[in-house]
Amino acid sequence: MMEFEAVIGLEIHVELNCATKMFCDCSNRPGDKPNMNICPTCLWFPGALPRLSREALEKAALLCLGLGAELQPRSAFDQKVYYYPDLPKGYQLSQAHLPLARGGAIDISDENGRPRKLRIHHIHMEEDVAKLVHEMEGRLPISLVDFNRAGAPLVEIVTEPDFRTPSEAMEFLKALRTQVRYVGSSECSMENGTMRVDANISVRPKGTGQMNTKVEVKNMNSIRHVGDAVAYEINRQSADVQAGKVVTLHTRLWDPDKKVTLAMRGKFEGPCIPDPVVPVIELAPEWIERMRTRLPEMPAARAERFVSQHGLSGEEAVFLSADPEVAGYFEALIGQGVSPRTAMHWLVTQLIPAVKDRGQELSGSAVPPARFAALLNMLARDEINAHAAREVLGQLFDSDKAPEAIVSALGFRQVSDPDALDALIDKVLAEQPAAVADVRAGQGKALGFLIGQVMQASGGKANPKVLRDLLAKKVSAAS
Amino acid sequence: MDSIFFYRPPEAAVPADGPLKGMNIAIQPNVSAAGWPTDAGSNALARFVALEDATVVERLRQAGASICGSTRMSEFGFGLDGSRAGEAIKRNAAHAELVLDLMGESRLAASAGDVCGFKPSYGLVSRFGLIGLIPSMECYGILSDSLKNIREILKAIAGPDERDFSLPDETTPDFSPQNIDRGKTTVGIIKEAPGSLPARQESLYRAAIETLGDAGLTVKELSLPDFPLFLPVHKIVGAVEASSCTGRYDSVRYGVRVPGAKNWNEMYLSSRGAAFGPLLKSYLFQGTFFQFERYDAYEDACRIRARLVAGMRRLAAQADFWAIPVERGGPDAPASLADTYAQFALTAYANVAGLPALYLPPAQGRPHPGVQLSGPRLSDARLLALGEHLLNARRGGNA
Ligand SMILES: [Zn+2]
Repeated sequence: MMEFEAVIGLEIHVELNCATKMFCDCSNRPGDKPNMNICPTCLWFPGALPRLSREALEKAALLCLGLGAELQPRSAFDQKVYYYPDLPKGYQLSQAHLPLARGGAIDISDENGRPRKLRIHHIHMEEDVAKLVHEMEGRLPISLVDFNRAGAPLVEIVTEPDFRTPSEAMEFLKALRTQVRYVGSSECSMENGTMRVDANISVRPKGTGQMNTKVEVKNMNSIRHVGDAVAYEINRQSADVQAGKVVTLHTRLWDPDKKVTLAMRGKFEGPCIPDPVVPVIELAPEWIERMRTRLPEMPAARAERFVSQHGLSGEEAVFLSADPEVAGYFEALIGQGVSPRTAMHWLVTQLIPAVKDRGQELSGSAVPPARFAALLNMLARDEINAHAAREVLGQLFDSDKAPEAIVSALGFRQVSDPDALDALIDKVLAEQPAAVADVRAGQGKALGFLIGQVMQASGGKANPKVLRDLLAKKVSAAS
Repeated sequence: MDSIFFYRPPEAAVPADGPLKGMNIAIQPNVSAAGWPTDAGSNALARFVALEDATVVERLRQAGASICGSTRMSEFGFGLDGSRAGEAIKRNAAHAELVLDLMGESRLAASAGDVCGFKPSYGLVSRFGLIGLIPSMECYGILSDSLKNIREILKAIAGPDERDFSLPDETTPDFSPQNIDRGKTTVGIIKEAPGSLPARQESLYRAAIETLGDAGLTVKELSLPDFPLFLPVHKIVGAVEASSCTGRYDSVRYGVRVPGAKNWNEMYLSSRGAAFGPLLKSYLFQGTFFQFERYDAYEDACRIRARLVAGMRRLAAQADFWAIPVERGGPDAPASLADTYAQFALTAYANVAGLPALYLPPAQGRPHPGVQLSGPRLSDARLLALGEHLLNARRGGNA
């Protein structure tokens, strides 16, 4: 049986998180009530003229630089001509001939942990189209058009056909998402439609260099679906070729329920002519340099720094730096005097799940770094124990009181004062002569039992370390 | 008068104080004036009412002019079939008119109406609010029997506009009156421009050139062998742009939708089919053909256009201005696209190369058809000064 390998390239649309649309001042909020964010320009009324948004250009440029692509000194918009009601002027403004940037690459590890450099062919800007809604008016099928999304700013990242496996495609997309979030140009959420991925897939006998007819697969709405769809398509095409069938150039849609790709009707591809209205974009070297200085420290560099500066393991550092919000929060905790280990542990195991449970975002949550750090610092000073800290964290979400105040109000402050503990210990020792005898006979378990009894008597507030020392001393002293 | 005007406002707004105070200016219904019907001469926009003022309307009113109405125009301003441009001035219903110049319409209308007609440099006047057809070539032409009016109007409407990003970042020419030096100013005549002009017309053109010498200008023969390519380049590039520019008239958001379509493809076909007249339809078909079937020819035309622009720039090093014949070729009532093009064989160059061009009517009693003068981009103020110099010379002045 012949062994096949896949040749995969991706086309990724990223919706920029600009305040306005690409060529007018309408709010870039596609999800608002239908047709709330429209104007003569994005409806292409007669006499209206497009005005390229500075913010869209800057956010697109930052994205390109963040992915290591080279901004072109000259780029321009073309008209992609086709007729469809979601396209209000019979053409889409896109950069077909002179893209904003060329080149760039993303480093990932393949399934076997080997480093892979996956190259980007080019990155261009384009405007989004309107949304069609199909409904029934009585028994009459009607189509409604929501123009809120028409003219929303997009970039399209077109890769080289460097990918060989579904996992590489998924790793690439995760790394891309992280890097674009870092530069702040987009949330890149496939679930929310701010990142849309088309995959071009062909197969060839393993080891040959040939480029065979490719099939385009669309309609995946998560990174996992991309992996599933690519895997399905590789198997489907390999089986077809094995059976002597010819692969034809066409587009298929991923069906997430049936987990298959299905051929869709051929879409008409119109010509692209240079747009005579939107001016050519000429980027001066100084402007490009200015953009470069606005780039934040990128995730790979940040992870390296987390290892060298904060002593995290490589895996921990990569995990923390993957999301700029998480990494920023982590560093803010450290800035407030929390130790890196405590900060990492409590952020990952307690705060992030708690924020997620409440449907909040880390950045806007009710527990900003200063409040969380105050709590963790009380823990570090042994003023509270871990159990109490978890309780107080829960309260921090529902109250705007300072953590110190909540600790006092709930009476969580640990009792570390030996005089206060002495009385409790004496009482328990008097009540449990059998256990005391066991300890003296060398049974460690019995000491634990006694500690538990004193802890209970203290209402959980005894400092366990101080308690253990005192108790051990007392039992042995009394013998 | 009703047959000249497409729309006249029931009462004119009280004009502001300004240099154009007292001037009545007619526009065409492809210029947006809030609340005015603006169908651009097409069924595609039947009953369409403008939402806001075009930049030119706003600036003319701010300068004190009164916009007195819009005159009937050809469909989207392409050609002169159905146009009444120039007649409002002749009938004393307006002091000046704005007429869209896609391939020479304003200059030929001026010639027919025996008034002055000026097409500014491309990129000098904002197109915001203009319902255009060929974005890279279209321009408002200004008609008046006074060059002073034209100069004042151009001064009022020219210059940067934050609503039109396509205007290049350039210094607007200074429109103050200026002198043309006798004996120091050369006017080139392009050997290839008369082309296939009939012998009688060519001798009239020569006669018009002679008047330049009378005004103390040095006439110099120049050569641009590519000159005959201006029209074919216009045909291809202009038609392609027009085809995509009219894509928005799809009856989805505005315009007239023909009922009864079973799906939207059918809706497009029937509505767009009813939207455009036969001449425009053949023009758009031509553009679509080059877009979809002969993209290579379109690319060639774009390259040749760049070469032509460079060629005219070289001529600018050899003469201050150019004189080009004006001859409305082809039949009087054009029946086809080819007939229409034939009329504009000697005017389309200025639209292809973005140059300013001025039509001056002949002196009274002279038989020649007047002369078309042109110059380098942004020489608009000097070109108008040249026109004033020639008119002065006719009156016997020697300024
Ligand atoms: Zn808008």
